[in-house]
Amino acid sequence: MSCVSSERSALSRLRTSFAVLAVLSATATPSLAAAATQAELEAKVQSLAEQLAALQAELAQMKAQQSANSSSAPASAPAVTSATAVPSSGSASPLSFFGYGELNYSQPRDNTADTTADLARFVLGVGYRFDDRTRLVSEVELEHAVSSSEDPGEVEVEQAYIEHQLTNSIFAKAGLFLIPTGLLNENHEPTRYYGVFRNFVETAIIPTTWREGGLAIQGNSEIGLRWDAGVSTGFDLSKWDATATEGLESPLGSIHQELALAHGKDLSVFGALNYTGVPGLRVGASVFTGGASQGQQGFDGAHITLWEAHTRWTPGAFDLSGLYAHGHISNTQVINTALVGNPTLIPENFFGWYLQGAYRLFDHGRYNFSPFVRYERFNTAADYAALPAGLTPDTLADQKVWTTGFNLGFAPGVVLKADYQWFRDSALSDRFDLGIGYQF
Amino acid sequence: MLGSIPSAASRFLRARISVFFLPIIGLLALLGLAGCGGSDSSAGSSTPAANGGQLSAMAQIGEKIFHDPSLSGNGQMSCATCHDAQRAFAQANPEAVAFGGPALDQAGLRNTPSLKYLSETPAFFFDGEGTPTGGFNRDGRANSLAEQAIRPFLTAFEMDNASAEEVVNKLRNASYAAEFRKLFGEQVFNDTDQAFLDARLALQAYQREDTDFYPFTSKYDYFLSGKAQLSDQELRGLALFNNPQKGNCAGCHPSGRREGGKPPLFTDFTYDNLGVPRNTTIDANNDPDYFDLGLCGPPRLDLADRSDLCGAFKVPTLRNIALTAPYFHNGKFETLQEVVRFYVRRDTNPEEWYPIGTNGLPDKFNDLPDQYKGNVNVTEVPYNRHEGDAPALSANEIDDVVAFLNTLTDGYQP
Repeated sequence: MSCVSSERSALSRLRTSFAVLAVLSATATPSLAAAATQAELEAKVQSLAEQLAALQAELAQMKAQQSANSSSAPASAPAVTSATAVPSSGSASPLSFFGYGELNYSQPRDNTADTTADLARFVLGVGYRFDDRTRLVSEVELEHAVSSSEDPGEVEVEQAYIEHQLTNSIFAKAGLFLIPTGLLNENHEPTRYYGVFRNFVETAIIPTTWREGGLAIQGNSEIGLRWDAGVSTGFDLSKWDATATEGLESPLGSIHQELALAHGKDLSVFGALNYTGVPGLRVGASVFTGGASQGQQGFDGAHITLWEAHTRWTPGAFDLSGLYAHGHISNTQVINTALVGNPTLIPENFFGWYLQGAYRLFDHGRYNFSPFVRYERFNTAADYAALPAGLTPDTLADQKVWTTGFNLGFAPGVVLKADYQWFRDSALSDRFDLGIGYQF
Repeated sequence: MLGSIPSAASRFLRARISVFFLPIIGLLALLGLAGCGGSDSSAGSSTPAANGGQLSAMAQIGEKIFHDPSLSGNGQMSCATCHDAQRAFAQANPEAVAFGGPALDQAGLRNTPSLKYLSETPAFFFDGEGTPTGGFNRDGRANSLAEQAIRPFLTAFEMDNASAEEVVNKLRNASYAAEFRKLFGEQVFNDTDQAFLDARLALQAYQREDTDFYPFTSKYDYFLSGKAQLSDQELRGLALFNNPQKGNCAGCHPSGRREGGKPPLFTDFTYDNLGVPRNTTIDANNDPDYFDLGLCGPPRLDLADRSDLCGAFKVPTLRNIALTAPYFHNGKFETLQEVVRFYVRRDTNPEEWYPIGTNGLPDKFNDLPDQYKGNVNVTEVPYNRHEGDAPALSANEIDDVVAFLNTLTDGYQP
């Protein structure tokens, strides 16, 4: 907190300097020129410029220090942040660059031939502040290093939206933006979560990084309540491939549209509330609901709702969090009847939850070390609508995953991670993971 | 900045509104907006409009050509002679192959395929993985319906015209010759190649425009659009048809809607080598050295050196399959029951399908020369079995699959 206070103090001094400079500029009119010589004025301007530069340097140093303190662990609550860290309005240039990346090494215990090393994500972002109230946020992501028709990689635009500040506490955005859900979706950079890989619940049930195109408003109240509401594109159930397994891995991840010539007949609405009025605590919930037939024949009446609740508490060196998410797809009986016999029918319900605890064991200068443990339980096909002729598929067993490991921060915005994952009731093999991530 | 600087009071009021009311107002507004584009309540339809739409002038001429026996060598055979509309425009006679020529007694080489649902067939190509795909005729050697039409006009055991010029001369004297000239130009018959091409383009237009060729009016179509229910047996059959561990039929004959919700065509336009037993009722097969090798010949010439493709034939649509017996390129099987049994028992019980050789064992894949028998698909379900294994489908399950196949016949009344 002292760091934050110092930063506020520096900001206050910076604003004062700007004010003095502005007054000086305004009063330096020909009529007053007689009160001071040109040389005196220039000297004063030079002096103020030097003070301003010194303050900027001081502020930058404090920001770096603050970033270093939190580089290895997810940002402390209140973790209700904007989707992407773009420079504040105090930046010298309206144009800003940012990005993140993660490189992973994963070795299954049972079949080491499946060991992989991967530049999983390489993301570059561009921000542009049009004026003091309007900015662009954009990110381009390359997954798996090489993207071509014969390589596994993908190039995708992860975010591209315009945000406009309506009042001091209310923002509107339009474009391709991240849905405000869960703990991870808006804070998906590797420095912001524990473990080499993103947790399963917030990838299999909540399809992080989940973005839609639309309009949204966000407000922050003085009592520590952030609210979000919006209307956006939604899922397209006609993309469901009953012959493939993607739908079992992530029901919603297999039918999201990512604003790539998205079918837009059925729009969805979403809302989220997050309370951070108590220092170190975040409690929130969100819901996303809308039609998913998109006017496509054979998918009439399909509707999808995903809701979740989450909390995060960071008392002292502890970092504790938990989340529950539940998805529902309606009218699957009719749709599945036409797909009977295929390996992957559409589930009616899917859910997941996790509990996670971390402890900052070591925190000195640029180095910090936080071991953690997480337990997840999730099911991507917890329930199917009943089909005639005894053709209802068997539901899946809940998958259970223990993950334990550590995040080691050794530079501002850089983290080394290692963990081991035990899978229960899952086809996946236990595995050792090693990774490095960065964000700037 | 937003307009004029607000007073402290108005700032305070605005802040309170933002905290307490804007979320509610926003959500209500958004819910209202979403309601406009909410779930689709329209029934939609995968069934195209019933036939009766006006054909273009070219298609109307094509229809007349299709039914005109005067365009054959003996004046007794038209396209419709072999492609019977009552049998999904497939072979009219029940024998393995059709007969043509001067006295209509010369046997063809292959069973006459249905002309239905061909208009979306792509021209022949090898896909990115080298899989042969598309094309017309059972060996894909024609790239369009218009090109396909060359063969029957000029083949001795079919319509038996000696040349394109002979066809054009007959066209010149056809009852619709004036319409032909009106559409294609008064001098059209002076250019034989152009007139022959125009005639075939007219045939192609007829097959593309007349919804008789793609009505999508089967029980299965109505089922997909929610206007009919399959019986339990038909539904079980569909499940076995789709199941990659059972029938796996959908592996080559996709049953699900295509992109954009278009109804399925029940073919992926690829080729497969099934090792169908030799049909000794075909005259050509009296010659022990004659083998119909599909993609690599003998009718098709350009892939003759692709020995890996010898024995592969086009995967046909299964729409109206109940009307188009006998089955396979050589018309070997007369019933769907036999066909499905062959698929699942070919490898578990080869003695049921192939003659016993001099060594006392079934002569598997006896319609292929020895050097090409290794091309037969023995890796995919349901062919990946061996003698002594259980067939992929039981007798009851075969009945279920056949019940489902019977839902693919056009003309169902929901």
